[in-house]
Amino acid sequence: MTYVVETTNLTKIFGSKVIAVNNMDLAVEEGTIYGFLGPNGSGKTTVIRLLLGLIMPTAGSIKVFGENMNMNSAHLRKRIGYLPTNPMLSKRMTPITYLDFVGRLFSQTKDQRVSRLSKLIRSVGLLPSASREVKGFSTGMVTRLGLAASLMNDPDLLLLDEPTSGLDPAGRKSTLDLIEELDKEKTIFVSSHILSDVDRICTHVGIINEGKLIYSGSIKEMKKHIQGNVLRLELDGDMNTFCDRLASIGGMAAFERRGSFTVEISFVSEISTLKAIQDVLGLIVECNLDLISMNSSTSRIEDAFLKLLEEEESRGFARAV
Amino acid sequence: MDSQEQFRFVEWPMPFLAIVEVDLQNLFRSRITYAWLIVGVFLQVIRVLSAPWGWGTSIIVVQGLGDFILIWSMLIIGITASAVSSEAGELADSIMSKSVKRHDYIMAKFTSRIMYVMTIYLLISAVLVGAATRLLENDYDMSGLVAALLLVALALIMLTTLGVTLSMVTSNTVITIVSLLVIWYSMTIFLPLVDLEFMSPSSMMNELLDIIQGVWNGEEWKIATSFGGISIIAMFLSILYFSIKDL
Repeated sequence: MTYVVETTNLTKIFGSKVIAVNNMDLAVEEGTIYGFLGPNGSGKTTVIRLLLGLIMPTAGSIKVFGENMNMNSAHLRKRIGYLPTNPMLSKRMTPITYLDFVGRLFSQTKDQRVSRLSKLIRSVGLLPSASREVKGFSTGMVTRLGLAASLMNDPDLLLLDEPTSGLDPAGRKSTLDLIEELDKEKTIFVSSHILSDVDRICTHVGIINEGKLIYSGSIKEMKKHIQGNVLRLELDGDMNTFCDRLASIGGMAAFERRGSFTVEISFVSEISTLKAIQDVLGLIVECNLDLISMNSSTSRIEDAFLKLLEEEESRGFARAV
Repeated sequence: MDSQEQFRFVEWPMPFLAIVEVDLQNLFRSRITYAWLIVGVFLQVIRVLSAPWGWGTSIIVVQGLGDFILIWSMLIIGITASAVSSEAGELADSIMSKSVKRHDYIMAKFTSRIMYVMTIYLLISAVLVGAATRLLENDYDMSGLVAALLLVALALIMLTTLGVTLSMVTSNTVITIVSLLVIWYSMTIFLPLVDLEFMSPSSMMNELLDIIQGVWNGEEWKIATSFGGISIIAMFLSILYFSIKDL
């Protein structure tokens, strides 16, 4: 198995005061889309800056493409694309001049730069604004330009720091679409605290809390952490009768009404999910309700995430072992 | 030279040149530059035209060059103090996260700020010297005049390197400006107390009249060496410090 990113006992302490990253062993396989989840202030951005060699670890080591990363590893950064949370661009530059500048920072020839930037400007949908100064750009446009800049060197590893932060729903969707459309050969490391985004695009996930990596593995494995299956239904009609009769369904662990139209049902893990869903759908028909929506994935990743955080915090002193 | 070495030779200057070019573009497009040039040229022309009858070129050139040490130095402090600190977020995100070496970045900053200050200095002093030599009594020695211009240029380069160095050490532009003002103006007071008067810009101003008139006393070399030495040491320490600094 080839790892693009590998850290061993990675620790970063700022000014002998703040432990931002705590003894972290992180491994990102080649070709995966790795979601890096954590609450605000948990150390996600610090880890990304460490991976880029912008800051040095207080202890531990970082290997990127099998080589030690340090502040002067310009040759490794040549293979990395980076999209910061809120890209800060020179206000007087246009997308063309900015991407050309980025290309020059990667020592690309003029031909390489021109061909790459025209392709990228088109693919991020900035063609009509290609020669407009950045100062009038919306957050979404700046993010798209930042994404284009992160792809200027056709990187093997892409580090995206909260790429959907501050975007409206349309901007968020288009950004996620762009990430999904990226070359499947690339390894993508996406930090986020938006669980549904990670669930949608990532194959693997790592969870960081207070600088400590508390889980790392595939999304499927993570979802198994939640006991039982959760089904979230949005219904229209007589909900009271439906809820009264829910208890009679075999294998149901609990249900909870959330508002006037939504009910969340948990099943014990031993029963077949398909059978449970069939029974619930049968009950909906019997109660003459309209099914507005049904989903399980979003709530499950949220629950799994919260459960992992709770587990971690409940371990108390054992966390140090 | 094998092909790989040739490739490296071609590759090395590109990020450095890109940063220099963008920094110079930003500086020359600013309103401060236009204002500095207009006011600077205007003051020198007025100075030459209003010179009392019988005054020679040398005294007017000394006064004109004094503007850079006493007045325009404040502007230079403001411009250099923000060289690195003003880019705090942009620096790491847009530049250092790319294939840029730390020494390339800091040398690019020194280069662009020195080029900028020198360009403005040469334009304004060219007007001053051109007008003074044509309109006033010629009491100057050509090599002395060139030496005086070079000494003031060295003083400004020293101020610029100190500004860029401090802007890299402190991330707060205001602290950098205050520190530079204290350093620059306290040189006049404190350096004579420790027998290092020749390192003071104001002492250099006292020597300029004689130098322009071709009277040499050996202090010129000490002044030039100390200004050049301080600049080189500041650059060297900056590269060392920046190569281990967290961004």
